[in-house]
Amino acid sequence: MKNEAGNMREVMIGNFAIARGLVEAGLELAAAYPGTPSSEILPGIIEFKNREKLAIHAEWSTNERCALEVAFGGALAGRKAACMMKQVGLNVAFPPLLHGYAQPLKGGLVIVSCDDPGPQSSQTEQDTRLLAAHFGIPVFDPASPGEAGDIAYYAMKYSCEHKVPVIVRSTHRVSHARESIELFVPGSRKVKLDEGLKLKGKGRIGIVTSGMTCSITMDILDELNLGDKIGLYKVSRVFPLGTEVIGFVNQQEKTLVLEETDVALEALLDHGFKVLGRRSGHVPSAGELTYDNVRDIICRFANDHGISVPEFNADTSIEDALKEIQIAPRPPKLCAGCSHRASFYAMKSAFPDAVFPGDIGCYTLGISMGAVDTCLDMGGGVTFASGFYDTFAQDGTLKPILASVGDSTFFHACLTPLYDSVLKKRRFVLVIMDNSTTAMTGLQPTPQSGITADGTSTYSIKIENIIKGFGIEFLRIVDPYDIPLLLRTIKEAYEYLETESAGPAVIIARRECLLFSKIREEDTRDMARLVAECTGCKICIKTFDCPGSYFDEEKKKICIDEGLCIRCGMCYYACPTSDEGKSLKELKKVRNEKKRREGREDSKK
Amino acid sequence: MGDNKGEVEGANNFYDIQHRKYDVRKGLFAMNLQIVCAGIGGRGVLLASTIIIETAIKAGLKAMASDEYGMSQRGGSVVSLVKVGNFASPLVGRESANILLSFEESEFYRNLPFLKTGGVTLVNTSRQLLSANIERLLKKRRVQYFLLDADAIAMQKGMIQSSNMAMLGFFSAFDITPFSCDNIKETIRQKVKARLVEKNLEVFQAGYESAQSFQLSADSKNQ
Repeated sequence: MKNEAGNMREVMIGNFAIARGLVEAGLELAAAYPGTPSSEILPGIIEFKNREKLAIHAEWSTNERCALEVAFGGALAGRKAACMMKQVGLNVAFPPLLHGYAQPLKGGLVIVSCDDPGPQSSQTEQDTRLLAAHFGIPVFDPASPGEAGDIAYYAMKYSCEHKVPVIVRSTHRVSHARESIELFVPGSRKVKLDEGLKLKGKGRIGIVTSGMTCSITMDILDELNLGDKIGLYKVSRVFPLGTEVIGFVNQQEKTLVLEETDVALEALLDHGFKVLGRRSGHVPSAGELTYDNVRDIICRFANDHGISVPEFNADTSIEDALKEIQIAPRPPKLCAGCSHRASFYAMKSAFPDAVFPGDIGCYTLGISMGAVDTCLDMGGGVTFASGFYDTFAQDGTLKPILASVGDSTFFHACLTPLYDSVLKKRRFVLVIMDNSTTAMTGLQPTPQSGITADGTSTYSIKIENIIKGFGIEFLRIVDPYDIPLLLRTIKEAYEYLETESAGPAVIIARRECLLFSKIREEDTRDMARLVAECTGCKICIKTFDCPGSYFDEEKKKICIDEGLCIRCGMCYYACPTSDEGKSLKELKKVRNEKKRREGREDSKK
Repeated sequence: MGDNKGEVEGANNFYDIQHRKYDVRKGLFAMNLQIVCAGIGGRGVLLASTIIIETAIKAGLKAMASDEYGMSQRGGSVVSLVKVGNFASPLVGRESANILLSFEESEFYRNLPFLKTGGVTLVNTSRQLLSANIERLLKKRRVQYFLLDADAIAMQKGMIQSSNMAMLGFFSAFDITPFSCDNIKETIRQKVKARLVEKNLEVFQAGYESAQSFQLSADSKNQ
């Protein structure tokens, strides 16, 4: 669709708008590691690069530090470069960030870091703007997808002009919002930073805000008809903070700061008791600033300062009426038929009392099956397993430790801790859940996939070759859909760990992710037996918890959800009355009996 | 910035004319309209909200959406908040939405607090009736609701994944400018994969037509 100026317009998400802004600014080199909510920026760059027939190098890097260093190198050598990551990814990229601003760039470097207020899909909320200010790096905070595109364009120019790296901080509400974006011919966009006084107010109280919170605040001031009573100052460049905003704060008796997620503006303004926000308790100290939150905060702020506004009273009769309704809880779950579920089931069945250090990815969801005990950071599972082993070893015990990690995370962060464990002969089992992709963030390739970000083919680095190269003696590759085999292999691995010279044992549970590879017909099973033989014991619901089936309370039987079930039949192993379930039970016993026998023999001696 | 008074009046009109006929509503312009699309992953919630905002933008209106899909790849809650008109943010507050489109029944209950007094909701469910308590609540809040078995309609056409189109078809029968049947159909033609367009339009049409029969039965009840 064209507008009056003859430019195309297109509805896109904030991440694509950022990609468009960067490409129009003359981007030449882009590197990223996927992570929600930043993952769509690099695909966006590739999309616009192809459309505009530009020569941009765009890559998925092995991790965020690699991404930043590659982009940094490009910028030092005179390229316009950018790298993209989520907020906790920025932590991985600290070393190059640390003194980044001290190296004058020949080209330009834009770092896009996407925050996750809430958090919705991260371990922590973390405010990129605080880190940027701490490291002395300029940081911009766009308030909408359209502005995110403009700011990405502006930031590249800013970086080239000032010869320093620049950070664009987005949040999931900007990255994943959609609106109509104007497309310009590369290099022709005119951007003026949208910063400054938005509403004059009466000089008594004002609000300073940035990011999506600013957009929400504007809607709420409108809704409450406060537009002519409260001053509003919008900040786009959070660091270095302009002097005009300080003038605005000086004019007000009190200023409320509304920002996500931490106290960046509030700390930078630093006007003691004149500035209200998270530190004064006027804004919740953590969590997303939702529409309802901001409305309540502004109502209270206005009423406290002599501007009377009716407070919003929620109609609680809605909740009262909903009490009787059983709303199906929807905790995040592995997909129906996901091979990770089969792996976790085998792990849990083999050693129910093991310690299960987990990692970051879809398979973190194994927590609901009791097969993931820890989730700290990328690669933290292997290092935790090491720490646990060392602790138990000091006490003279060998407890089963079953660590799990996905293939992409393995390449991202596990090589160093794993060869360290080989050197120190740490005895734990590492199950590498290899689904041949980075599933949780949208199916990006891994170093093993043999394809690059834009789909061209390249080398494939096989996980098993790395494991062998490290000198790990116990390596098995198993199809997780063969639950009995995987269970036997885990027991075998543990027997190996009991031998004199053992180091870590590695099992690669390999099956392609269902999101890009449909189940093969020969792998499907008839599901009728599951329903027909169901005794209503609910054990499969408790231990297997697949969304492909549900318990019908009226019929007192398991039911198949035809829309979701892929007929992999893995749930049969979780059914105590089925043949598969019974056979698995026998397998579980094997080792216990062996142990008992050995124990008896020991006592005879 | 928008005119709040106008919006409230609009919402009241919306409610009143609901009780008469669909075509009377033609005068209602989609200025400052907040729509919540709620469902679960794999049911086409995001495609439906895309079609709604694209249709609005084509008609020269400002439209934005904010999507939330959590960590599940399939089967998790998906909510897309849509704002059409003079707004700065795409986010919707409690009891603020004019329309709640529920692509799955349990998501209807979960997202009901979004719906404002006098709002309209369309629920994909095989139920004929809602529970007495919920019905009482909706009546008290002057909410007009429509129960549509969109899954059955989609299944009938052999397109189990396209219940979202049946929902949009029914929604188009409300005929809120610019979301007319023709306008939405045009957007579907542009946004849906070419090989699926005809089948999707068939489901859409079936949804639209079921709204007509719905109206007849509602009218006969009133008489």
